[in-house]
Amino acid sequence: MKKNPLLKIALTHLFSKKRQTIVAMLGVTFGIAIFIFQAGLMSGFQAFFIEETVNTTANIRIFNEAAKNRPSILDKINTQKDHWNIVQNQKPKDEQTKIKNGYQIISILENDPRVAGVSPFLGSQAIFKVGIAQIAGRVSGVDIVKENILFNVSKNMRQGDITKLETIPNGIILGDGLADLLGAKINDNISVVSPLGVNLDMKIVGINHSGLTDVDKSRAYINIRNAQKLLQVDGSYITDINIKLKDFSLSEELAKFYNSKFGFRSVDWKEANASVFSVFKIQNMVTYLIIVSILVVSGFGIFNILMMIIYEKMPDIAILKAIGYKDRDIKIIFLTESLIIGTFGGLLGLLVGFLMQKIVGNIRMDIKGFVSMEYLHFNSTPGFYLFAFVFGLITTAVAGYMPARKAAKVDAIDIIRSK
Amino acid sequence: MSTPAIIKTKDLDKYFHDPVEFQALKNINIQIDQGEFVSIVGSSGSGKSTLLYVLSTLDTDYTGHIYFDGDDLSLKSKNELAEIRNQKIGFVFQFHYLLPEFTVLENICLPAAKLAKYKEEEYIERAYQKLDLLGLRDQALKKANKLSGGQQQRVAIARALINDPKIIFCDEPTGNLDSKNSQNVFEIFKELKEKFNQSIVVVTHDNEFAMKTDRIITLRDGEVI
Ligand SMILES: Nc1ncnc2c1ncn2[C@@H]1O[C@H](COP(=O)(O)OP(=O)(O)O)[C@@H](O)[C@H]1O
Ligand SMILES: [Mg+2]
Repeated sequence: MKKNPLLKIALTHLFSKKRQTIVAMLGVTFGIAIFIFQAGLMSGFQAFFIEETVNTTANIRIFNEAAKNRPSILDKINTQKDHWNIVQNQKPKDEQTKIKNGYQIISILENDPRVAGVSPFLGSQAIFKVGIAQIAGRVSGVDIVKENILFNVSKNMRQGDITKLETIPNGIILGDGLADLLGAKINDNISVVSPLGVNLDMKIVGINHSGLTDVDKSRAYINIRNAQKLLQVDGSYITDINIKLKDFSLSEELAKFYNSKFGFRSVDWKEANASVFSVFKIQNMVTYLIIVSILVVSGFGIFNILMMIIYEKMPDIAILKAIGYKDRDIKIIFLTESLIIGTFGGLLGLLVGFLMQKIVGNIRMDIKGFVSMEYLHFNSTPGFYLFAFVFGLITTAVAGYMPARKAAKVDAIDIIRSK
Repeated sequence: MSTPAIIKTKDLDKYFHDPVEFQALKNINIQIDQGEFVSIVGSSGSGKSTLLYVLSTLDTDYTGHIYFDGDDLSLKSKNELAEIRNQKIGFVFQFHYLLPEFTVLENICLPAAKLAKYKEEEYIERAYQKLDLLGLRDQALKKANKLSGGQQQRVAIARALINDPKIIFCDEPTGNLDSKNSQNVFEIFKELKEKFNQSIVVVTHDNEFAMKTDRIITLRDGEVI
């Protein structure tokens, strides 16, 4: 007899029900493998997306919020409660979205030790024309050297060179999607028309691929002076200041600080992408719901097989009690059985989940959607494996507890008498 | 040394409530001394098994008192009763009860593994001694469910002996045995009593067997006569 007769008894029970035991184990395996795969995929995708976003969204963006709904003049004069004021077709006030003293703010920011880079920005809608092809998009007027510090534009250049934006007076860098749509190649000429009807003839000096599909299909970089020409504004006119911090985790805090310091709206990257983050939250919830429901189902499987074993092994339980095994010993036997199922099913699940990640992660996907990536990125932090395994064990222990307690309560004498 | 009572009952009554109220044991006052070999006889349904279950602490649904080794059993917790059964009581049921998927040796060792008084090698050695005693050594490594009824019954006896209990209860242990094996079991019990001062209580139909024991307790309709 082995040192621990309880373990031996538990194993004997499981071996006497091989098929059901394996099915119960595979239930746990399945739940955990799916979780490892799903959680790794979701969090890998999210990490990838956040990285892309951090690379393409400023840590903090300062801008002048365009005119919102404002009270009409009538509302201001006529404040009596029992009157209604109806003013139709109220136009936004002709306020400029210009950041006043923008370049002064920039030089203050550049001296802030927490700041790694500051880039002025003036954007506009524009229509791009090459021959008869014409596409609506946006131009980003930037100081390309500063912009490069923030967004590493040069890394994403497919063709050409960012410095040409400085050296060639009418240079333009197109997103690769936009270039494809226009059928334009590097060194081609292109005309850019602003909403004010200003037409600039420009020369394509580079093709850029940011990885964010929508952006690449619609955006072009031009020098900020050219943007000012398109919008017919003076040389101090900018609408946005983008800031890169040395430690981007300070974004939220510093955005608040700059907001009150400069009196312009300052938004950190998380707030700017709030909608995406709320989608992530839902994704994560779904992931956890999936593992919970699969494990609940496998919990029922375990419950089921243990109840079967208990009914079949009533005489064994009675003998054990008659020869001096305590209720607790009997409970341990059946809890051990459920934990054996949980442990082996769980370990196998971890392995299967890991392999699924490796196999799928090696398939070339060339996804072009929200973001574009060649391979799926899996996050395989040990934390997920630990969580899945521990959660699996807890489920099996809970599922095993009720049958185990029932077995412990079996009245030996009833069974001995009834034989 | 006088022979103190290993077990003593006082005004012991036992009722079954299902399907109808039925008194299975009536006012039992008996005493069994350490080292005594007692047989209980009586017609079928007279309450012999019921008495044995009550005396062996398995059935706690009775009124009156049972003193075991000086202690009042009604004051003991479930766990304490389990310990008493493990250390001091050996039981051979009317219908042999072994764990079918375990080997003969493993079955015999179960109470010893629970007691954990001896090391594993020691109690395995002891188990082989008991098997020798019952002529079953060559069956040691067979699965219990591969044995004949008579063999299983003798394995159950070996299991009852493994922890050197103070008292051994047997419910018709020779029911399935031929006369040779039955005689053999009797000799074993006699030896246990004489060599180790163990008490033996045997329920039996076998008058010849009963006649050879120290004392016969006769039951009729739940009463000692
Ligand atoms: N679980 C039970 N419920 C009700 N009556 C029972 C139960 N077990 C035994 N009896 C009754 O108790 C009496 C004694 O039974 P038992 O002790 O098994 O007799 P014996 O072993 O002497 O043949 C019988 O009349 C039997 O019908
Ligand atoms: Mg009987």
